Amino acid sequence: MRMNDALIGGIFVLLSVIILFAVRGFPTLPDQPYGPGTFPTIIASVMMVGGLALVWSGVRSHAPLLVIADWMRGSATLHRMAWVPGFVVAYIYLSKPIGFPLLVPVLLGAFLTVTTGKPVRAAIIALLGTGALWLLFAYLLRVPLPLGLLTEVIY
Amino acid sequence: MDAVLTAFGQVLQPQVFFIIVAASAYGLMIGSIPGLTATMGTALLVPITFFLDPIPAIGAIVAATTMAIFAGDIPGALLRIPGTPASAAYTDEAYRMREKGQVELALGVNMLCSTIGGLVGVAVLILAAPQIAAVSLGFSSYEYFWLALLGLSCAIFVSSSSPVKGVLSLCIGLMLSTIGIDVVMGVKRFTFGDTELIGGVSIIPVLIGMFAITEILRKVARPSRLPAPPPVRLGAMVSGVGSTIWRFKGGVARSSLLGSVIGALPGAGADIAAWIAYALSKKFSRSPEKFGTGYPEGIVSASSANNAALSGAYVPSLVFGIPGDTITAILIGVLLMKGITPGPMVFVMDTGLVNAIFAVFIIANLLMLPLGLAAVYGSRRLLSIPQDILFPIILLFCVIGAFAANNTLFDVWVMLVVGLIAFVLEENDFPLAPMILALILGQLVEENFMKSIIKADGQLMEFFARPIGGTLGVLTLALWALLIGLSLYRAARTRRAASTGD
Repeated sequence: MRMNDALIGGIFVLLSVIILFAVRGFPTLPDQPYGPGTFPTIIASVMMVGGLALVWSGVRSHAPLLVIADWMRGSATLHRMAWVPGFVVAYIYLSKPIGFPLLVPVLLGAFLTVTTGKPVRAAIIALLGTGALWLLFAYLLRVPLPLGLLTEVIY
Repeated sequence: MDAVLTAFGQVLQPQVFFIIVAASAYGLMIGSIPGLTATMGTALLVPITFFLDPIPAIGAIVAATTMAIFAGDIPGALLRIPGTPASAAYTDEAYRMREKGQVELALGVNMLCSTIGGLVGVAVLILAAPQIAAVSLGFSSYEYFWLALLGLSCAIFVSSSSPVKGVLSLCIGLMLSTIGIDVVMGVKRFTFGDTELIGGVSIIPVLIGMFAITEILRKVARPSRLPAPPPVRLGAMVSGVGSTIWRFKGGVARSSLLGSVIGALPGAGADIAAWIAYALSKKFSRSPEKFGTGYPEGIVSASSANNAALSGAYVPSLVFGIPGDTITAILIGVLLMKGITPGPMVFVMDTGLVNAIFAVFIIANLLMLPLGLAAVYGSRRLLSIPQDILFPIILLFCVIGAFAANNTLFDVWVMLVVGLIAFVLEENDFPLAPMILALILGQLVEENFMKSIIKADGQLMEFFARPIGGTLGVLTLALWALLIGLSLYRAARTRRAASTGD
């Protein structure tokens, strides 16, 4: 996903303007012009100069606004890549209500089916992988992984 | 002598030693599987070290990374695919040796040179660090400000992409470090009214996002099947190795020292050390025409240099708290989480810890010989693990790892968002090293800058008034001038090339 430098530079310039705007409300030390806003102001200024430099070189380069790299083309590839954020977001929203031991084998099994194309093998590996990570984190390191639906069953 | 014995005693306790051996095995696995880099391995190790005491935690990171840098050579020689970027410099050379039927010799040389380079790096660390620390005890906020800024500027200078992108990457890191309570007045900054952000952005999810999520995205998009590795005779890995290395002893010594120094430069790590050592050994070689045809001299030099760089990177990290590469940046994050602030005071107050770190390094480098042999033996099996199984499981590990440090799902969001942004940035040639260095150093830079400017009452010349501080300041400004000059020169040259091409 190669963007034209002008586009990225524009984003940085916008970001720096937002920061400069946000720090105006910060207090300063009594009788001194400095305060919590000083350092962010300096960074935002540098960011703005850098962003403008990128915009300048991007406009001169006449490169297309957005180029998808060859290896990222194809709906199958994008589909597999979309699974990464999809997996994480699904975990964030579902792990508490459903619980780690029930959700993760299904989620991991589905993802493995997408990457390997072999559902049975994916299911076995998902079960083993979930078990191993549960053992490591919940049992050895005492991380409170959510039990979800199983809470009532166990307690 | 007592201190040395105590240090080794601490590290050789059964529990600590077990963790070091387990981390070594993990490092060998990470290093020998292409696509899993030493930095990514360290980032994935951090959630576990969170639950360990400081010495085993550092031991785990040191052992895992030492092993990973060597193990990266294994698939390089067997399959012509470097296991970690640090092995890329001599992958072709090693593969040529395989074609000549000398794969065992290549791997044996890699292993022994990695150990020698690592030990030379440790020696440099042990000799130099306390001396530099003693000098830097007199540093005030001015010196620290310049030193941190010089470190960050070096990180931009050595990154291969355009300096402007390096600077912008740095700015993102610094901005991320300002989130939370500010160091001067305790005001909440950029928290967006979110209570989770008051304590600042947690390091662990950022690290995992930057170094693991990005790699997972790339690997899931491009599933690759590794070719079958050739059989390896372990016996042949031992014979002839000693004489080969003895033949190029000058190169080993030069590259090990060079590697330590390059490692100590902020931002330049094992991969850059390997490239430079390889290039230099070709330049100084009696038979440079043999390079690229399966000649061991380049391998000898570069594989000593990359392991030496790993140890060298700890010099500025321990003495000043300024990381020498991305791995030590992560290590400093771990130390800060443990309530240890790296800096010259550590050498005065916590000599036990410093000696234990030295001991871990020596033990890890010596362990590399037996464990390395075992890894080469097991590499056929390890390399046959299909990558399309590996990466979904690593993703699950990332999610739990990001969650585990603070037990909050908010950190999983942080990991995802940082990972996606870092992916887009890397696709556009933004280097990530300045960003992570800036995130770790941000608070140090700001605190010392604010202290200095308040002390100086706004007089910027005060920043140059002290001899060491002034020198560092001038050096930093000179580096900036060089950076700006170089990028203007490059822009002018490409413009000229474009206009003559029309």
